[in-house]
Amino acid sequence: MTTTQAPTKDYRGRVHTLSRDIMTDWMAQLKEATRTPTPSAYLMISGNCVEILRCFDILPVFPEINALQLAIRKNSLPYILKSEEIGYASDNCAYVKADVGFTLCGGVGENGTIPKPSLIICNFVGCNVYIKWFEHCASMMNVPMVMLDIPFLREATPSKDDIKYVMCQLHELIGACEKLTGKKFDIDRLREILRYSARAERGWARSKELCKNRPAPFDAYFDSINMMGPINALRGTKEAADFFDAAATEYEQMVEDGVGVLKEERFRTVVEGPPPYPYYRNFRNLFERWGAVAVQSTYSTVGGLWEFGFFHDPERPLESIAEQMLVHNLCNRSLIERYKQIRKYVEEWNADALIIHSIKSCRLFSAGQGDMREYFTRELNVPTLMVESDLEDPRYYAEAQMKNRIDAFFESLQYKRLRAGNETGKQATT
Amino acid sequence: MEYAVGIDVGSTQTKAVALDTARAIVARVLIDSGANVVRAGQRAMDEIQKTGISRGDIKFVVGTGYGRYKIEAGDTQVTEISCHARGAHMLYPGTRTVIDMGGQDTKAIKISAEGDVIDFCMNDKCAAGTGRFLAGAADVLGLTLDEIGEISLRGTKPVRLTSVCTVFVESDILSHLAQNKQVEDILAGVHEAIATRTIGLVRRVGTDPEITFTGGVALNIGMVRALEAKLHVTLNASPEAQYCGALGAALYAMDHVMAEKRPSVEVGAELTGWVDE
Repeated sequence: MTTTQAPTKDYRGRVHTLSRDIMTDWMAQLKEATRTPTPSAYLMISGNCVEILRCFDILPVFPEINALQLAIRKNSLPYILKSEEIGYASDNCAYVKADVGFTLCGGVGENGTIPKPSLIICNFVGCNVYIKWFEHCASMMNVPMVMLDIPFLREATPSKDDIKYVMCQLHELIGACEKLTGKKFDIDRLREILRYSARAERGWARSKELCKNRPAPFDAYFDSINMMGPINALRGTKEAADFFDAAATEYEQMVEDGVGVLKEERFRTVVEGPPPYPYYRNFRNLFERWGAVAVQSTYSTVGGLWEFGFFHDPERPLESIAEQMLVHNLCNRSLIERYKQIRKYVEEWNADALIIHSIKSCRLFSAGQGDMREYFTRELNVPTLMVESDLEDPRYYAEAQMKNRIDAFFESLQYKRLRAGNETGKQATT
Repeated sequence: MEYAVGIDVGSTQTKAVALDTARAIVARVLIDSGANVVRAGQRAMDEIQKTGISRGDIKFVVGTGYGRYKIEAGDTQVTEISCHARGAHMLYPGTRTVIDMGGQDTKAIKISAEGDVIDFCMNDKCAAGTGRFLAGAADVLGLTLDEIGEISLRGTKPVRLTSVCTVFVESDILSHLAQNKQVEDILAGVHEAIATRTIGLVRRVGTDPEITFTGGVALNIGMVRALEAKLHVTLNASPEAQYCGALGAALYAMDHVMAEKRPSVEVGAELTGWVDE
């Protein structure tokens, strides 16, 4: 078991600070755009095509990030209740309710912190609740909406027709952006933006690859959140590309120095599902106190899946954007592909266990997690813990029950190890 | 003499068990938890000492249950999942599956031949289908928890309940009473409804025999029979079922006591120098 002290360095230090700096700049741009005639557009995180917006200097706005920012600041409940007042059901997606409530309360627009979008782009249709979310936003704010119909991935790879179908829609989106901004589409500018994207993606992939080391230099679930902002919202910028170069360099140095994310790495986990943002720190502590480090996570790939070798290709600009939207992001992948992804994580990143955090108000992604648990526990013999709360709604989180399940799970792993140790001892002495 | 004590502060009752170094139960205590969890832990320790065990002879205390971190005498804490597994394994060494039904949660635990937890499932945040539901049903019918199990066995036409929701149990039962349904049929329906929900949990971890039923509800013969009817096996249901968590905690505590007794060995020391007879 590796035990490494990190006496002089706070592992959340430099990468966290860099991430916070560039994300704060982006939030400042959003605030500034509420008072200036800056074109902006709503996008969804899942398999987004932010690079096309950058070609036209359209500021991307992600309502999912608005929602999670409210939750992590412990401020989501009043907005959720506001949406329930106008008729949203209690079990409706809490991301939707927080963002809609925030909009209703004036958070979006000239008196708020988020600009009223010039265009609403629904780029992920795998979740029909999300479609209704953006339709409601378009209707509330009287903003034109572009719906991109991205076929759900039925097989391991998309068909040529799927790619062609998405590329046709990207041309339509480009037309809408030209109309909005009065600018002509410049394919060379898109290639340049994609070069930045690919550099960021490679840095992200390199960083994640480093978590195969013992000890892992960062927590690929909790610390990945700091890197998801830059990879999803700022992809295609020089700032994001530089950030990921710096992050990978930092983590490489930590690996070289044998410094881990925790003082003692006792358990390596793979985590499926988003975190409970309203209790983010509490939830993290429940794992840290057991010396449990996430060496991989599926949530960090909702926007894009970069660690298996796919990157945006400036030589095939629209085609590679279409491929990313279709296949190289978690949300558009079938359950079987998600299983394969997790299995690869467990095996190649040498994880001891799988943790599933199921989301009460997201039936789309939580459906099937019971089967997932059975598959990993029974067929692959991977100890699997399934806990449930919510990513946004604090009412679903019960600390005592969460702690009980997590403690019991790691107790069982610990006793299994102790017993294995005893058996080895016996064999050695007889 | 040296003793180890396990204290299980549950949502309804606090249980404590003392073991001697032969791991034999030498004292057991059962008190209501009440609103003050810290006090419940203290009272349990006081009661153990009233059986003639002095505080100085108690070498290690393990706390378990929801109030485990509030037990001031506790030297360490272990979850009730691990404790029920350990306790059930001691009572019935052939146990591979544990069903623990307490005041506010129900657990299904799969355990190894050594008594280690392999997998477990619990009801979610809602207390539907737990001991609390039975208490609610008993209240509506003006009966005590001790009576309802026996009465349910006399039911011949179990009623179908609309849910196992602890909040709606009252109105549900009142509607059956309004339809002149027999109390024993209503209670048979109550037990069957909980058994159905519990089976769902148990199947998630597997139903490997032997299956041991622990927790306070395991003393309810109606619940034992209802689960047996669904699982088609005979359950291990000990009169000690309620103490199973505290027993497991005491076993973990005794591990600590025995570990301290083990002579410390300096690794490799026995091979330094030359020893000639």
